[in-house]
Amino acid sequence: MPAYILGISALYHDAAAVLLRDGVVVGAAQEERFSRVKHDAAMPRRAAAWCLEQAGITAADLDYLVFYEKPLRKFERILATSVATFPRSWGSFPRQMRAWLGDKLWLRTNLCATFGVRSDRLLFCEHHLSHAASAFYASPHEKAAVLAVDGVGEWATTSLWRGDGSALEPVSEVRFPHSLGLLYSTITAHLGFAVNEGEYKVMGMAAYGKPAFRQELDRLLKLDPAGGFELDLDYFSFHYHPTRSGSPALEALLGPPRFPGAPFAPAVAPGDASAQQIVESQRWADIAASAQAQVEDAMLHLVRYAKGAVGTDALCLAGGVALNSVANRRVAAEGPFAHVWVQPAAGDAGGAMGAAMWAWHAVLGNPRQPPLARMDLGRVNGPARSSEMLTDLGAKFTEPADPGASAAAELADGKVIGWVEGGDEWGPRALGHRSILADPRSTEVKDHVNARVKYRELFRPFAPAVTAAAAADWFDIPAAAAEPARWMLSTAGVHEARQATIPAVVHVDGSARVQVVDPVASPAFHQLLVEFNKLSGVPVVLNTSFNLKGEPMVSSTVDAMASFVRSGLDVLYIDGLRVERPK
Amino acid sequence: MGQLRRAYLGPISEVAWRLPGWPTRLLAAFSLAERGSMLDMLAAADATPRREMRRKYFLHALDEGRHAGIFASRVRALSPPGNISRAQAATEDAGLLQGHGIVAGETLFARLGEMDFLAFVFVAEADAVEQFHVYLDRRLPDPDTTAALRDILKDESFHVSYSKLECDKYRREGQPIDHAIRLARWRRVKEGWMRFTRDFGERMSGVWLLVLYFLVIWPFRLVARLERGGWQRAPARPTSALAAARLEG
Ligand SMILES: [Fe+2]
Ligand SMILES: [Fe+2]
Ligand SMILES: [Fe+2]
Repeated sequence: MPAYILGISALYHDAAAVLLRDGVVVGAAQEERFSRVKHDAAMPRRAAAWCLEQAGITAADLDYLVFYEKPLRKFERILATSVATFPRSWGSFPRQMRAWLGDKLWLRTNLCATFGVRSDRLLFCEHHLSHAASAFYASPHEKAAVLAVDGVGEWATTSLWRGDGSALEPVSEVRFPHSLGLLYSTITAHLGFAVNEGEYKVMGMAAYGKPAFRQELDRLLKLDPAGGFELDLDYFSFHYHPTRSGSPALEALLGPPRFPGAPFAPAVAPGDASAQQIVESQRWADIAASAQAQVEDAMLHLVRYAKGAVGTDALCLAGGVALNSVANRRVAAEGPFAHVWVQPAAGDAGGAMGAAMWAWHAVLGNPRQPPLARMDLGRVNGPARSSEMLTDLGAKFTEPADPGASAAAELADGKVIGWVEGGDEWGPRALGHRSILADPRSTEVKDHVNARVKYRELFRPFAPAVTAAAAADWFDIPAAAAEPARWMLSTAGVHEARQATIPAVVHVDGSARVQVVDPVASPAFHQLLVEFNKLSGVPVVLNTSFNLKGEPMVSSTVDAMASFVRSGLDVLYIDGLRVERPK
Repeated sequence: MGQLRRAYLGPISEVAWRLPGWPTRLLAAFSLAERGSMLDMLAAADATPRREMRRKYFLHALDEGRHAGIFASRVRALSPPGNISRAQAATEDAGLLQGHGIVAGETLFARLGEMDFLAFVFVAEADAVEQFHVYLDRRLPDPDTTAALRDILKDESFHVSYSKLECDKYRREGQPIDHAIRLARWRRVKEGWMRFTRDFGERMSGVWLLVLYFLVIWPFRLVARLERGGWQRAPARPTSALAAARLEG
């Protein structure tokens, strides 16, 4: 009888479930893909049920259920912070306590009832240890420095670990309220984006600005000679205020915050904006560029410390800040490590994977497994079920002999297609399993995707996917970023001579958040790229996540059909079936 | 039922639609509710074992998605230019979904089963039609919103009639559909009451916690301080021992 371990992350952000069979991932799924509520934090009941179903077991067969953090230690931090910030914390205290007394404190009972397991099967990892484990055990590296950087878990906001075989030992940590993640979130909020959601937008906006506010921002964050950092708390209020993360001093320093949804019209793409709007937009872009440069420098500072303290060739990264693909590129290109590996679900969803892997390797002492080679670890529809669903829905569909070639021909023809194949992606990036694809050679097609499908702001660039064989011909990917580039976790330069050929996927600064596609990780998607290359001489397609604005990525056949009908996509491919757009 | 509802809905709406800032809040709440029913219907389309129902649920879901969009665009149109109101933010943030029937990870369809689900849909759609009629009869919203309501009302009336037909089929088969309909009505009243008591309870507990905060917490202030910045040695702890792994703290 194999051993089964279910990892769970929930109740704060991005709930997820991951099932291991003898240490190997059988299924990994985020609750939002089932509930259709973006970043759903509720107990991942349906994601867990799907994982068990995938393995053909019930909750009674689980050896352990592992939660991704220690709730009581987190509660202690919240209480201690409320006391230390008395009386400014008067607004947040009742809210926090109500949430904890009502629900979060009774986690053990809640977990047993929700997932149907006995109390003696429950284990609790630590938040940062879960992040670290998710990066280290899933990576190909036997020995590595492991760095987790996020907003906050229990106490740690940044933590360094020494990974060796099955062991993962703590080295040092930076503690709340000193947090790089919360600093970046504070700037995200100042720029009018939702925290935990708009961080990508800040990264996109940064390319339009110059780091003109760097001096101001350096007052917020001090990098110390010992390799760590410290925040000047006068500029923040996240440690005592229930909803606001910056303080009045921050507004005095950076100017008034941007209203959410205010039009963004920087000098290089002014549109029909007024002179004043252009000046304002440039200020926001400059703040974004400054914050981005700052977080990159801080990450480099931390990884240099990690190299000195641990000294391995490889670095494993996780935590929400590790989703900053521009910073990852600099860590790979300028940092001291020969290899960098980033957990694709670097945010809190990934904690579910880390918690389960930690239990299997560190607690139970089992040897390492081969690294994660694919990320389509979530819900699978399959051709049989998809075909039945499409028939019931009255969709017109055919079964092309070679779906990759058929889709490639339509792309070359200027069509925008929905591409659903195999399992859901693990982590926030669409990697050719729940993707919208288009021809990267045409900016017209890009505008079409923006205007009729995604409704996105112009400062969010579209990403290219390229075949592994051709990647170096088109993109300048740092050697150490070879692995992150497979999962869209690092940006790359686009070779200057190539930029004019694929304008739809080159960001204003000449970079691109590339996905290097190999036939092992995504056979069907790779085949499509090969076919597109035959037709166009370009082994690159535009790839963006298949979701409508404000919604999670599509998952089931029904979701895909609903988003297809509600959007301006030209045609949909589901598990090799070609679905025509209804009249 | 209808008479009573109309009797209180009328005067309440009369006030609600005229308070400053409230129309956008109401419209945003409608948008979220429509989006929630879209998700409920999509979940039903995915899960139903009755294959002939799949397309019906799916088309119903598309209608609700369209309604959500119409209400959201009314919110946008009525919000002050240049910045978005809380109401408008809500329509664009699915994370704030309230009208969504998922409770403890189970969809409305999974919780109720197909017959009770259809009874619930029938009752909820009929209530919505009645509510929209009250607004239209009293000419409450602005002219453009009124036109949008009229447009949506056509779909809602269709939702009532098709779900009624389905309920009739259950009745002909001798299934306890009338009981299911009564139960659905009762459930809506009960859930409304529970929402009210929960909100009220939260407010009360908030007051008590605030009293506690000022009476009990402050003395500890003298000894508490925030952590300093910079790297600190990780506390030595047996993180990987099984006994330690079982602990929540
Ligand atoms: Fe985290
Ligand atoms: Fe509706
Ligand atoms: Fe309806």
